[in-house]
This record gives sequence, C-alpha cells and structure tokens, in this order.
Amino acid sequence: MLISIFNLLVFPGIIFLGVAGMSAEFIDRKLYARMQNRTGPPWFQPWADFIKLVSKEDVVPTEANPRMFRAMPIFALTSTITASFYIPLWSTHALYSFNGDLIVTIYLLTIPTLTYFLGGWYSTSLYSKIGAIRSLTQLFAYEVPLLMCILAPALLANTWSLSEMAKFYSHHHWYWMFNLLGFAISLIALLGKLEKVPFDIPEAETEIVGGTFTEYSGRLLAMFKLSINIETIVGASLVSAVYLPFGLQLTPALGILLYVGKLLFIISILSLSRTIFARFRMDQMVEFCWKIVSPLAFLQMLICLILKGVLAI
Amino acid sequence: MSKEDEIVQSLTSEFPLLQDKAKVQRIRRVVADVTPDKFEQVFAYAKDNLGFSVLCTITGLDEGSTLGFIYHMSRTDGITFSLKYSVPKDKPVINSILQYFTNADIYERELEDLLGVKVEGLPEGNRYPLPDDWPKGEHPLRKDWKPKGAKIDTAETQVKEAK
Amino acid sequence: MRKVVIPIGPQHPALKEPESFSVTLSGERIMAFSARLGYNHRGIEKACEERTYLQDVYLIERICGICSHTHSTCFVQAVEEIAGLQVPKRALYIRSIIGELERIHSHLLWLGVAGHEVGFDTLLMYTWRDREVVMDILAELTGNRVNYGINLIGGVKRDLEKQHITDILKSVDILEERTKYYIQVCKEESTLIQRLSGVGVLSHNDALSLGAVGPTARASDVARDTRADDPYAAYDELDFKIVTDDHNDVYGRTLVRLGELMESYRLIRTAIKNLPEGLISVKAPRKIPVGEAFSRYEAPRGEDVHYVKSNGTDKPERVKVRAPTLANVQTVAKMLEDGQLADLPIVIAAIDPCFSCTDRLISVNSSKSETLGSMKWEDLRLYGIEWHRSKGMDFSAINKKLAERL
Repeated sequence: MLISIFNLLVFPGIIFLGVAGMSAEFIDRKLYARMQNRTGPPWFQPWADFIKLVSKEDVVPTEANPRMFRAMPIFALTSTITASFYIPLWSTHALYSFNGDLIVTIYLLTIPTLTYFLGGWYSTSLYSKIGAIRSLTQLFAYEVPLLMCILAPALLANTWSLSEMAKFYSHHHWYWMFNLLGFAISLIALLGKLEKVPFDIPEAETEIVGGTFTEYSGRLLAMFKLSINIETIVGASLVSAVYLPFGLQLTPALGILLYVGKLLFIISILSLSRTIFARFRMDQMVEFCWKIVSPLAFLQMLICLILKGVLAI
Repeated sequence: MSKEDEIVQSLTSEFPLLQDKAKVQRIRRVVADVTPDKFEQVFAYAKDNLGFSVLCTITGLDEGSTLGFIYHMSRTDGITFSLKYSVPKDKPVINSILQYFTNADIYERELEDLLGVKVEGLPEGNRYPLPDDWPKGEHPLRKDWKPKGAKIDTAETQVKEAK
Repeated sequence: MRKVVIPIGPQHPALKEPESFSVTLSGERIMAFSARLGYNHRGIEKACEERTYLQDVYLIERICGICSHTHSTCFVQAVEEIAGLQVPKRALYIRSIIGELERIHSHLLWLGVAGHEVGFDTLLMYTWRDREVVMDILAELTGNRVNYGINLIGGVKRDLEKQHITDILKSVDILEERTKYYIQVCKEESTLIQRLSGVGVLSHNDALSLGAVGPTARASDVARDTRADDPYAAYDELDFKIVTDDHNDVYGRTLVRLGELMESYRLIRTAIKNLPEGLISVKAPRKIPVGEAFSRYEAPRGEDVHYVKSNGTDKPERVKVRAPTLANVQTVAKMLEDGQLADLPIVIAAIDPCFSCTDRLISVNSSKSETLGSMKWEDLRLYGIEWHRSKGMDFSAINKKLAERL
C-alpha cells in the first residue's frame, strides 16, 4: 500500500515526472537557444514560469462553460501521468503491466489532445475554437501512422504488452534495428502530438494568438503546460521503450543513466527539428501525414510481418 | 524638345484652357491647374493618352475660401504630373476617381475625414483615418481647426514655458 | 461549417503595430477580408504646419522608426527644391549611403519577421543578430541606431571620416557573406519554400492596376524603382540593377528583398569609392520662399512621396506624406482572395507593412475635451499607478530606494 502511494506520488509518479518534464523543457529551450546563437534561459526558468503561473489568478471567460474549462487541464495531467505507469523505463518491467497495455498507453496519450480540443472549444473564443479544430484535425493526421508504427514492433514481438516487448527485444539483441524506420516515423508523430514546430499549427501564435490556450491563465494554464512537459517525457519514454530497447538488463544505476541518455537523444532531435523547420500549413501537414508518413508506417508493418515469417518467431 | 515639354504641348493643344496653366516645374515635374468641370476630362486624358498610369496620392489643401485637390500621377520614366483644381469651401463636393484608379478610395476617404469634403461615388466602407467615434463636422486639416484642450508644442509655447 | 469572422487586431501577435483587419472564414479558407486603418494617427501632418521647417525635419523623421531617413530625406529634398538650394555632392552621397544602410537594416528585419510569421524562428534570430552589424555602423556614423538625425535642410550634419569608411566596408563584407547564406537557405530549405511559394499571389496586371510599389511590385515583375526612374540624392551617378522576380508570390518578394540587399552592398561600395570631397552642407534660409514641391524617395518598402507647400514664412503651409504601405495595403485583399488563414500573417507581412508610416495624422489622446471622452496621457498613467496600488502593487518605496542609491 505504502509503496503504491510512493509510486504514484513520488517515483515514477507525479513528482518524478514533473521534475523530468521541467528539465526536458529546460534542455529543449536551451538547445533551441544555443542552436539559434542565443544564450538561452537559466536552468530554473521553467520552474520560475511555473511558479509564476500558479501564483496568478485564474480567469474563466464569462461565455465559457466553467466546469469543462476547469476540468480539462486536470484530465490532461492525469492521463499523461497514468500513461507513464505502463511504460518500462530502464528495466524490462513497467510499474504495472498486462497484455494490451500498449493500446491503453496510446489511448491515454490521446486524451491530452482531446482535452486541448474540448478546452479550446468550451472557452468559446474564436481563436480557441479554431485552435481546437486544428488540434483535432492534426490528431487524425498523426495518430494513424503513430499507432501503425508502434504496432509493428509489437507484431514482431508477438505481444500487446510493453513490458513483454522489452523482454523480447532484450533476448534478441539486434532485432530493434529492424524498426529504425518506425523510429523515425514515431518521432514525426511525436512532434505532432506535442504540437511542436513544424506541427505547432494548433497554437500558431502569429495566426490565432495562442490557439487552444488563448483563454487559459493562471493555475489552469500551468497545469496544461505541465501536462505538455510530462507528455514530452512520457512520449519520449514510449518511443525509447519501443524502438531503443537495449541495455535493459544493466544494473539500475547504469540503466537509469542509459535511459536518461536515450531521452536526451530524443529530446535533442525534437529541438533540432524545431530549429530547422518552418511551420507547416494545416493542409500541407495532413497531406504529408497521409501521403508520405502513413504508407511508410505501413511499410514498417509489412517488414515486421515478413521478418516474423522468415525468422519463425 | 524634352519629354516634359511634349506633355505640356500635348495638354495645351488638347485643352486650350490649359494655356499658361500647364507648365514644367522642373525636370520630371509637370503641373497643371484646371477648373472643376474640366478636371475629369484632363485627368482621363493624362491617364489614357499620356501614360500616367500610377496614382501616387491625392493631396488636399485648405486655401482659405476654397479647398484644393492635387492629384499626383506618375509614369514609368519618372515624370510626375500634378493636376490641381479647387472647389468653394461652402460647397465641398468632388467626384470620385475610382473608375480610373481602383486604389484611390483610401486617398479619397482620407480627404473626406480630414478636409470634410464629400466625395460623390465613393462606396460605403470603413472610414480612414479617424476613429469611429470622432465627432461630426470636425476636420483636422482645415486651417481653422485646432485640437481642443491639447497643448500644442510649438516653438512659441516652448519659449513661453522656458520663461 | 458556418462562417466565422475573426478579428486580427487592433492587438494581435502577428501585427507589430495596432491595425485592425477582420477576416471572414469558412473553415480555414478566407472568404472576405477588410482592413480598418488609422490606429496609429498622431497628427504629424497637422503638427508640421504648426512648427518651423527645422523642427519639422525632426518630427518627420519620427513618422517611422525603421525608415526614418526615408521620410526626412524626402522632406528636405522638397524644401531644398522650393528654396532653390544647391546641396553639395558629398552630402548627397552621404545621404545615399545612409539610405542604403537603412535599406539593409530594414530588409534584414523583414526577413526575420517573415521567418517568424511562418514559424521559422531560427531565421529570425539569425537575421536579427546580423542586423546588429548594420545598426552598429549606423550608430557610429550618425550617433543613433534609429532616427539618425543626419539630414539638414541644405545637406547633412556629419561627415564621413576615414575610420568610418573602413568600418563600413568591413561590415558590408560581413553582411554580404551572411546574405549569401540566407539566399542559399531561402533557395534550398524546403519547408520554407513550401510555406512561401504560391502564397499571396499578385499577378503582374493586378500589381499595375492596384498601384503596388517597392518590392511588392517588383516581385510581380514590375520594374519600377524610384531610384532609377526619378533619381534623387546621388543615385543618378551610381549604377545599380533593379531586382525583379516573376514568382508573383511571397517567395518572389523574399528573393527580391535578398537581391536588393546584394545590390545595396554594391551601391555602398561604389558610393564610397566615388565619394567626392567638399562641403557637406550649405546654409538654408529660415524663411522658405513661396512655392511647392513634390518629392519621391524609394523607401525599403516602396515609393514614399512627400508634397510640401510653403507660404513664405518659417512654417510650411501644408505637408502631405504618402508612405509606401498605404499604396501596398490595398493589394492585400487581392492577395488573400481564396487564401488560407494560416497564410494571412505572412501575406500581410510580405508587403512589409509599416502602419506608423501609413497613419500619420491625428491624435486626440492628449485632449480632455468631453465630446471625445478621452484621457490625458498623464492622467492615464496616474490612473494606472493608482489602480495597481489599490491591488497592492506599490512601487513608490522601491523607487525611493533606487533614487537614494543613485
């Protein structure tokens, strides 16, 4: 009982994820700044921003539906934290696991996007509504390739459980190399999920001010920001668990170090793409995802299915 | 004969009343004064036959008892033509030139707001540049208009203040 | 989906200055567009009539922070023409050099803004860093980073020294190399090309009939440049190419501006090489004789025109300013026809709008007359301070402490 509470609240629960998310934001911002030849923020900047937001007043627009408006950030935060419990981080064991947790995790990670949609929609501001519609449109564009390319390694491993998958790939050392195409696709989809450049269309500030989050302020906005940060960590962990499942039998200390290394690698790829790309337009993004990314994800599935037959797993 | 002189000659031969009214101000500057009733003909002639295809702007002037309007046009070789006419201040109505230049509306709206002239033929639209709640009948570029209650920072007031 | 009308402005992150546009959308598609200009009126034309010519040079310079040299040069040219002043050659060359440096700074600024509008912030950071080079040079030459104050009626105020010339050449070399890099980026970076090409199309004929000016017109293959057509300052003795492009879209406008940067570097080098010796100003009379003049200047954004009428006193009878943005803003509705909402910021930005230039005229912020229902600036400031004090934010103690320390 006590251990469960510790797990939920401290490790790998809210506090750990919060700290990791904040550090991820810092690393992302610092790398982004350095690549743009700027100094960048000090390490405590995300914390300062967070504390400042929390201390501010919450403003709920008079036209908005207050219950939905207030509930959405909480939903976003809880669903991302819950998703983390099923992902094996640096060993082959997740905190909880059952056959099918892969699907549950992906669905839990979809909920934040839905909350952005609902939160934006119920704020009733025009900018928010357009942002909301855009985030939903974007969801349909990246979600399918993401699901397909995450299913591919699972097909090869013949399991629907992330922990089982990790075990499978630990036993067959080099099999993860077959999934490199899927790794690239999942990074693209992750960019879309996290609404980062070039897929930051739903909150394109030069077009629709702040998109979904236009009307949010104070604690509610802080919660949304925190949930995005945590989503970065959880998303990166999911990608690293599925596609980079090596070194999982090391001692915990080395394992954690390796895990942090993998996360840093994924986060720096995300920052790099933020630096070198311009924002897509909605129609370009949807076209890109359906015409290029989805067929590639399908190809990855095919590769895994054929390999399964050839290697007779 | 220079191009400028050619323009003046062409204008005066087409419109005899422009004799002595059209002149070359300096190189690449031709100016002319017309009466309000002939304005549109001269204007159309300059645009269609003399090649003044760009409307630079319209300047409105308060000349005491009359309001003057200068239409600045230019052509590709850099020559500009300033065509001017005046209407009496107590009957400030002019015709729109939208049929010649579709981009003229913003300049004409500016005249309406700042000089208080009625431009016939200008479609409904947003006013420019004064605020929507600007009081009626206040036209800042009229010489008798002074900003109410505002301190005007001119040379004289500065000297006064310094004392 | 039913149509929605969304307001862009008067305050909006895409607009660097207050102006109001409203866009009717069906989904992401733009159905109608209308602009309401005038939020930046400050009464400069009226104010010019109340001040002496010398004061006006400074006032006119403050029409715009980016093309300040444009407006002051255009104005002094008109006044010099009325007064019949023979401005020394050296002064004209210095004006041209400052004018080109201003163009460089404005185009680099635009490139950054364009990058920002399409979500390519790295370009913004890079160009604005490089823009510092030209800002430093301008500060060295004139003493100011913006609003240079170098023009006088009858010449310029500061001479170019040996050290200045070597510094200019050095920074032009740096900038040229950087600009080559940006040209490469714009020609090779695929997401950027995708976001810019085919967007905000203004056909050659539309550009002509709507009276577009500057890079906006030249990107629609209209070879019109006041520097070449109606030479002023030293441009009749300097050789340069009018940069045009036939893409007709935002991408073309980007290429034109980049090409103009390269031309500007060349112009500055030739101007410095041919810089004549001699005086830099002649004395101007305080009272300008009766007359009128129409002056044109190729600003970074297009043709700027001033009309000055004098009445024989030391104050002008009428000063009329038409900034390039006013001519170009009318093309925006055409460019946005059937466009996407996502392209709106970049299309508006692509004409390089400068609304403080456009709206020069009236301000009644300082008026307390009841018919207008506005507040004096000072009252507003005090009101703001009081309001925050009532919410528990009192800075007077801190202010006192800071004052003691000084």
